[in-house]
Amino acid sequence: MLAETASTVLAARGLTVASPGGRAVVDGADLDLRSGEIVGLTGPSGAGKSTLAFALLGLARAPFSLAGGQVLIGGRDLLSLPEEAARAVRGRDIGLIVQNPRAALHPMLDVGRQIGRIWRTHTGGDARAARDRAVEMLRLVGINDPDRRAAAFAHELSGGMAQRVLIAAALAADPAILVADEPTSGLDVTVQAQFLDMMWRAAKDRGTAMLLVTQEPGVLANYCDRVLTMEAGRIVADRPTRAHFAGRAVTARATIRSLPEAAAAPVVTAVSLSKRFPLRDGKAVHAVDDLTLSIRPGEAVGLVGESGSGKTTAGRCLLRLIEPTAGRVTLAGRDLSTLSAGDLRRLRAKAQIVRQDPFDSFDPRWRLGRSLREPLDVHRPDMDAVAKAARVAELIRLVGCEPAVAEARPRDLAAGMLQRLAIARALATEPAFIVLDEPTSVLTPDARREIVALLRRLQDELGVAYLFISHDLTTVAALCHRVVVMYLGQIVEEGTTAAIFDDPRHPYTRALIAAHLDEDPANRRVDRPQPDRVEGEIPSPIDLPTGCYLASRCPMALDRCGTERQALAPLAGDRTVRCWRAAELDTDNEVRHAL
Amino acid sequence: MARPEMARGGGAAAGALFRIGAGIVGLMIALAAVGPWIVPYDPYTATEVVSQPPPPLLQWPGLLIDTLFRGAPAPHWFGTDASGLDVFSRTIVAARTDLVIALAANALSFGIGVTLGVVAGYYRNFATEALMRLSDLLQSFPVFITAMILVALAGRSWGNIILALTLLYAPIYLRLTRAEVLTLRERGFIEAARAAGVPDWSIALRHVLPNALRPALVQSSVTVGFAILLTAGLSFVGAGVRPPTPEWGLMIATGAGQIVLGDWWPSLFPGIAVSLTVFGFAALGHALERRHAG
Repeated sequence: MLAETASTVLAARGLTVASPGGRAVVDGADLDLRSGEIVGLTGPSGAGKSTLAFALLGLARAPFSLAGGQVLIGGRDLLSLPEEAARAVRGRDIGLIVQNPRAALHPMLDVGRQIGRIWRTHTGGDARAARDRAVEMLRLVGINDPDRRAAAFAHELSGGMAQRVLIAAALAADPAILVADEPTSGLDVTVQAQFLDMMWRAAKDRGTAMLLVTQEPGVLANYCDRVLTMEAGRIVADRPTRAHFAGRAVTARATIRSLPEAAAAPVVTAVSLSKRFPLRDGKAVHAVDDLTLSIRPGEAVGLVGESGSGKTTAGRCLLRLIEPTAGRVTLAGRDLSTLSAGDLRRLRAKAQIVRQDPFDSFDPRWRLGRSLREPLDVHRPDMDAVAKAARVAELIRLVGCEPAVAEARPRDLAAGMLQRLAIARALATEPAFIVLDEPTSVLTPDARREIVALLRRLQDELGVAYLFISHDLTTVAALCHRVVVMYLGQIVEEGTTAAIFDDPRHPYTRALIAAHLDEDPANRRVDRPQPDRVEGEIPSPIDLPTGCYLASRCPMALDRCGTERQALAPLAGDRTVRCWRAAELDTDNEVRHAL
Repeated sequence: MARPEMARGGGAAAGALFRIGAGIVGLMIALAAVGPWIVPYDPYTATEVVSQPPPPLLQWPGLLIDTLFRGAPAPHWFGTDASGLDVFSRTIVAARTDLVIALAANALSFGIGVTLGVVAGYYRNFATEALMRLSDLLQSFPVFITAMILVALAGRSWGNIILALTLLYAPIYLRLTRAEVLTLRERGFIEAARAAGVPDWSIALRHVLPNALRPALVQSSVTVGFAILLTAGLSFVGAGVRPPTPEWGLMIATGAGQIVLGDWWPSLFPGIAVSLTVFGFAALGHALERRHAG
């Protein structure tokens, strides 16, 4: 392997970062980065990963400070250099890519200037050349029309685009070392895959040494040559990626759930549901477009798609938390759209929602017990205070927590625990149907697995139906019986979990599945061809394309696709697809990945 | 590129500011409460000595001991004005006038503004839009001129001054609270309550209102300071409380004519009292704001 023969370009020895109280946040870290090698840095939240990554540039976020050790780059210790000289090293020899890219860009300068400025700082070139360099870097990171994009400001860019600009800036002075701190958190899977592919290629082609901080096993397995594990400020393991994953079962595929008995009538049905948000200039955002869907008792339906595909709006419309523009929703046999406000409130006992951010889901001023009691106060006037307290304790135990947490406030708990309590609150009134809107996406991989296991157990015990909105396909595969794929407000494919994951037919579904990162270093994305990529990002839902919505990004598109809308048509094997070429794309076609 | 955060300094300074502000405000409130019972002279009754200057500072300790322990008649600490009224007694008693007007106006405008702010933020319809335009209208006039006209039209009573100030300050609370509610209504726990079937009025009262109060509470300290300034200002131009009510602005105005004759004391001491009080409330407000922002 390249890694074994390549030279060490950065060596940290005994690197220590301390808090004001003298506690070591990073405690004597030793690490080597070699050219052309991508090293993953992982570990639980608060282990000191980001702090270590920063320290490699000789930086410390307040209130922490660098307390000792060396960072050797090109034979010189970055930490003992005078600030002026250290600054010259940053950017030229070592680049940094942070999370939340839009916040890291200057809001008042166009991105071309920002990229060019870094290059000028380190090379002393003139403004004209810097602009050319910026455009060249933007083209390198895969931005279409880089001349025009160089004149864009941070707020005009999507998250994925901003992240690319940031890497273009980091690469501008051609550093030998790149440090990336959770660069893809918050990005869609498709964009994440495009971005990481690009980083990987940069490392391999240019021989850049890279440190990639991430908690995602999928990212480690697919892109890293070596994995460092941190715990409580110390590097506790330094292993080749395969050794890191050795002994972990890749079980997602084995746990696909079979459908419950099909006889029962649906608990919730949506017919031709649409939601348009009118804009000032007479146009409208088509968030949900003619969505028809039904979910049976005890069934978990996954709703997947990139951000901006209308998943969340669809979930809100199903509960009539926002008013649909058109269409009908039937819940437990009653038509929601015709209910009076009072009847709707009473029916809310039957349908609940769990949201993405558990810290946002609870009133910060209330103790959790009071929040859990709130639905009972509304729907169970028959219960007295003692009965309610007993029910709250029962709910807390049901989700695997100690009843004592009723006395805590939201800020006292970890996100995973709080999300369990959000689920408990949703269950308080014994609903028949729960919308789960990305309930795992802000959680760590471990907490995520626990929540999925909890949701499965609760469904088996209580027979509640789920609409599980997520862009994380591993969780969807582990929880859902059926999967609905949305793109720009429309359903593009629907089928059983096995059908969707084993044999996706719609080009968009295929792209989503292909962009998914298996937690398996033996089956790396970078080792196989990628015919199913969709390029770029989801178009604006305001000016919709005239033909098939995917046509501009689709690797399969023909002329006809640009002009003709497609209908959702049934296909053999218990599924429906919105693509007239779906039948051609059958199982033995080139891309099939075990999930 | 991300810059390491600046170390957050000034914690100790904010603490000192809080203590100073709270100390001044506490003192003024205490004076407003017990002022009339502790002052040596009746603030409404003229003495025989007219335009007497205050005793030199060096004599104060001796005079104090004489008054407290030897039963000597109290000196005119701050002198007397042209009518022979004791400036010290009037300055102390005036704390009640100014603070009662300012605090009452603040409480009323707080109550009205916050309530309407919650309504205007939570329900966005024609009526609440009209309300916002009305508050725009109120805020588009210079505060002092509007207050002067309102009091002149309604009559120079305490109640009318309080109402005029309330009308002027309520839009500030309305706007602050509405802005807070607009972000709050998008929060998950509000949606969770709606999804649980909690009635709107109950969500507004139990979730929105308590979580939206913070900026208005911080503002109220600043508003009290301004209200005191405005009360004194109105009296100064003759649009406030009627003489001979002990009131700082009025005292400054009455004494102003004498300053050219060299009688600086009838105006100076109430002036110091106004400045000190306004500073106290402003310092308190600033410290609270810093504390909440941090």
